[in-house]
Amino acid sequence: MTDEVILQVKDLKTYFTVDEGVVKAVDGVSFDLRKGETLGIVGESGSGKSVTNLSVINMIPSPPGRIAGGQVLFHDKDLLKIPLSEIHHIRGNKISMIFQDPMTSLNPFLRISTQMIETIVLHQGLDKKAAKEKAIEMLKLAGIPAPEKRIDQYPHQFSGGMRQRVMIAMSLSCNPEILIADEPTSALDVTIQAQILEIMKELTKRLGTAVILITHSLGVVAGTCDTLCVMYAGRIVERGPTDVIFSEPKHPYTIGLIRSVPRLDKENTERLYSIQGQPPNVIDLPDCCPFYPRCEKAMDICRKKYPTATKFENGRSVSCWLYSEEKK
Amino acid sequence: MSEHEVLLDVRGLKMHFATKSSLFSKNKGYIYAVDGVDFQIKKGETLGLVGESGCGKSTTVRAIAQLYKPTAGEVLLNGKDLTKMPAQELLAARKNMQMVFQDPYASLNPRMTAGEIIAEPMRIFQNRGLLSMSTAERDDKVEHLMERVGLSRFFKNRYPHEFSGGQRQRIGIARALALRPELMLCDEPVSALDVSIQSQILNLFKDLQQEFGLTYLFIAHDLAVIQYISDRVAVMYLGLIVEISGSKDLYKKPLHPYTQALLSAAPIPDPAVEAKRQRIILTGDVPSPDKQRPGCYFYDRCWKHMDVCKTHRPRLQETDAGHKVACFLYHKPE
Amino acid sequence: MSRKISKTVNEFNQQLKPISLWADAWKRLRRNRMALISLWIVVFYAIIALAAPILPFFDYRIQNLDHTNLPPSFRPAGQLAIEKLKSQITILKERVDSGMDTLKPDLERAEQELTVAKDELISNPENKKVYIFGTDNLGRDMLAKTIYGARISMLVGFIGTLTAVLVGVILGAISGYVGGWLDNLLMRFVDIMYGLPYMLIVIILMAMFRKEGQSSIVILFVGIALVSWLTIARVVRGQIISLKNSEFVEAARSMGAGPGRIIFRHLLPNALGVIIVFTSLSLPSFIMNESFLSFLGMGVSAPLSSWGSLVSEGANTMELYPWQLLAPAIEMTIFLFCMNFLGDGLRDALDPQSKNRT
Repeated sequence: MTDEVILQVKDLKTYFTVDEGVVKAVDGVSFDLRKGETLGIVGESGSGKSVTNLSVINMIPSPPGRIAGGQVLFHDKDLLKIPLSEIHHIRGNKISMIFQDPMTSLNPFLRISTQMIETIVLHQGLDKKAAKEKAIEMLKLAGIPAPEKRIDQYPHQFSGGMRQRVMIAMSLSCNPEILIADEPTSALDVTIQAQILEIMKELTKRLGTAVILITHSLGVVAGTCDTLCVMYAGRIVERGPTDVIFSEPKHPYTIGLIRSVPRLDKENTERLYSIQGQPPNVIDLPDCCPFYPRCEKAMDICRKKYPTATKFENGRSVSCWLYSEEKK
Repeated sequence: MSEHEVLLDVRGLKMHFATKSSLFSKNKGYIYAVDGVDFQIKKGETLGLVGESGCGKSTTVRAIAQLYKPTAGEVLLNGKDLTKMPAQELLAARKNMQMVFQDPYASLNPRMTAGEIIAEPMRIFQNRGLLSMSTAERDDKVEHLMERVGLSRFFKNRYPHEFSGGQRQRIGIARALALRPELMLCDEPVSALDVSIQSQILNLFKDLQQEFGLTYLFIAHDLAVIQYISDRVAVMYLGLIVEISGSKDLYKKPLHPYTQALLSAAPIPDPAVEAKRQRIILTGDVPSPDKQRPGCYFYDRCWKHMDVCKTHRPRLQETDAGHKVACFLYHKPE
Repeated sequence: MSRKISKTVNEFNQQLKPISLWADAWKRLRRNRMALISLWIVVFYAIIALAAPILPFFDYRIQNLDHTNLPPSFRPAGQLAIEKLKSQITILKERVDSGMDTLKPDLERAEQELTVAKDELISNPENKKVYIFGTDNLGRDMLAKTIYGARISMLVGFIGTLTAVLVGVILGAISGYVGGWLDNLLMRFVDIMYGLPYMLIVIILMAMFRKEGQSSIVILFVGIALVSWLTIARVVRGQIISLKNSEFVEAARSMGAGPGRIIFRHLLPNALGVIIVFTSLSLPSFIMNESFLSFLGMGVSAPLSSWGSLVSEGANTMELYPWQLLAPAIEMTIFLFCMNFLGDGLRDALDPQSKNRT
């Protein structure tokens, strides 16, 4: 991980208009991504982590959603403002994505070879033969046995874990600078998950790819990510290096989350801690800290205004009135 | 600790599904989803059943609940075999055995209100003459159950789609409690929930167990969850139990190679610990249970396999007090 | 203990209004302009058809030979009759003048009628009638005829559809739930029925069982209902099959629910959306079938009339008196259009995909 920042997300806002009102799925999200860094975005359902993802590469379905503000600077070019033709050159090539369910991201009617070759030819300008060789090489790196034979098979002939490997191979085949992985292992068994995460770590280290990993599992994040962003109700509530956040969490939500996950290596004899209440329904949320109904340390001001971000050393930042100097 | 009586005794349970062959092929394929499972659960105890997809844990629980008719084996609830009971007797036995399901979105009828859903078991038993209760009593019970699981009784007339995932699961739990069963079969009840809600529901399960003296058969794929909620744990692989022991023992001293691999693969939410871990990475995929093999089912992926494992199938045998394992590393083949 | 449902607020002090699934669907339907307009039109038709006997229409059976074949107009019938006679006389005069002497008695008769009509213009109250849709060849009011025709057509459509739906739902539900050989048997039966030339069968039935003077409506129902339940049965069977493996059905079985309870309390209510849509789309087809039969003369017989028989009559005098065809034809077309739009709108509104909110 170097210090060169390749992606800067500044105050990103994505809103959806539904019958009942406006859903502010992402409401002011900012983070930086450095070359070779693995950034984890952790959150529960409704936190806006997947929408953040799609917003970064400008793939929000246009009704009912829209990007309502902010910038996504990739090498100083704002991805939200450049024309469609340029975005096509970036997606799949400089920034690629893998999703949770590999069955839906692979076309069941086309062979793997066709799908992989298509991507490589499009972005790297190689001819079909050279592209096929590159594809086979990538499959081998991703740990698929007998890749020369398997490349001509169809997606349904692969198991879930294998398909995810194919997705990884495909997305890394053009040597992208950033790989965005949206819950890549949530649908997989634990032993397969371990395999896939290993492959991802290895390959991205070897190719120097930066990774944005989105997940709801704290365990996955602890094992693979350098930096961590914790999201709640469309905003990042805490951000910083993973080991520091785990050893010294500051935001009450982060604290609660870490404490409510049962741990395999410790004896859980006492009652499991649980955050009371439930994740908010983000339609027409008033201006307040969305976590306050569930927060043990809620203060009066938490009900009235969203807290400003407080920066600490090491690139840490927390959005909580407990730490803000602006408390009235 | 006093000797509690055995509530559920499963012996030699097998569940084979015939795959439909075409009109012209002669070979009928089978899925050997559950291929000989034995265990006992004592009153007031929680047995956790853990395994990956295709291991047969969901099928086991459904075969016990008699939602599928077991291909072979016995299921003894309070000493009586459910598989051989006539319909009326089985219905009466169901009063003592209820299920909680995995998907909070799919396990509730979208066209019934929360109150109707919770009252349904009582209505069914009333209609069959197995329960006598006035309507007022029943409504009262529904409200009481709702409050007990943490739902406001004012939501009695709301529909499932108006509740969040965690709340729906609470409705499912209230429904399962309606008849005051002794045994609760829980099929991955927290797997589809958010982390912060998961801990609430797990605590609810524990509280209810204390208050009502419930016995649980709890299925999950998350090992940490199983460790928290269970007294004893059974690990399944391809339709067979490979290891069964007290929950603390299993995690301190896993014997079967598969259990070891499983534990090593499970992520731990602590970067300091994760950085130092030596993972056992299994090769290959989780196989599907469509072939019966002569030897140990884990042979292909086992890094400690011996020649005898290919030809003989290991049986569950006790090594220490209460710790059983099916592996030739620990006992000789017969 | 209070049983009132209080208006609840969530943790952010936002109101939580309860929304039942039907209210939700209604909201969505309301947004579909075409479907809403169609709904009101269909309701309008239904009200008029139901209330016809007490509404101030002329009796459709009364014949008035002075007022035959009058065009639609807001002016009193007497005037129109006089105008008609006048134009008749003009034509006859032209022909007589050009040498057709055989028409002389007709001319005289016409002139006599004209004098009588002029006399009776004010004295005979019948002449003040206004026929908005004109009259037919026996002086019967077209408006009344088409309304009563609507009654019959809509009745046939409604009852027939209801019967078909009932039979189809029950057979489809049983077939889908039980599966196995029963399902196979029923579905092969449906396949065979589909293959039969249905029109031919109905015509044969009508020919065999219709007795002169007796009402033919019942035979009509039976004939058409015999084949209309097929599609509904298939559709319901499909829904039942896809629903019967849902977790909530498993939950019901684990509680000891029997097949009856599962089918009627769990499966069918969830298939209701599809059933409603199919009902609203099969009603027009029922009416079309009946109209076709009536057009061929195999449907309802006089004095009852349906849209089909009216169209059939009107087609005969299409060139001279076009309103006799247009009135029932347009009325019927509008109704069928609206039912189709309504059916489409219902399908969108009841779409199960939008039901799941996270």
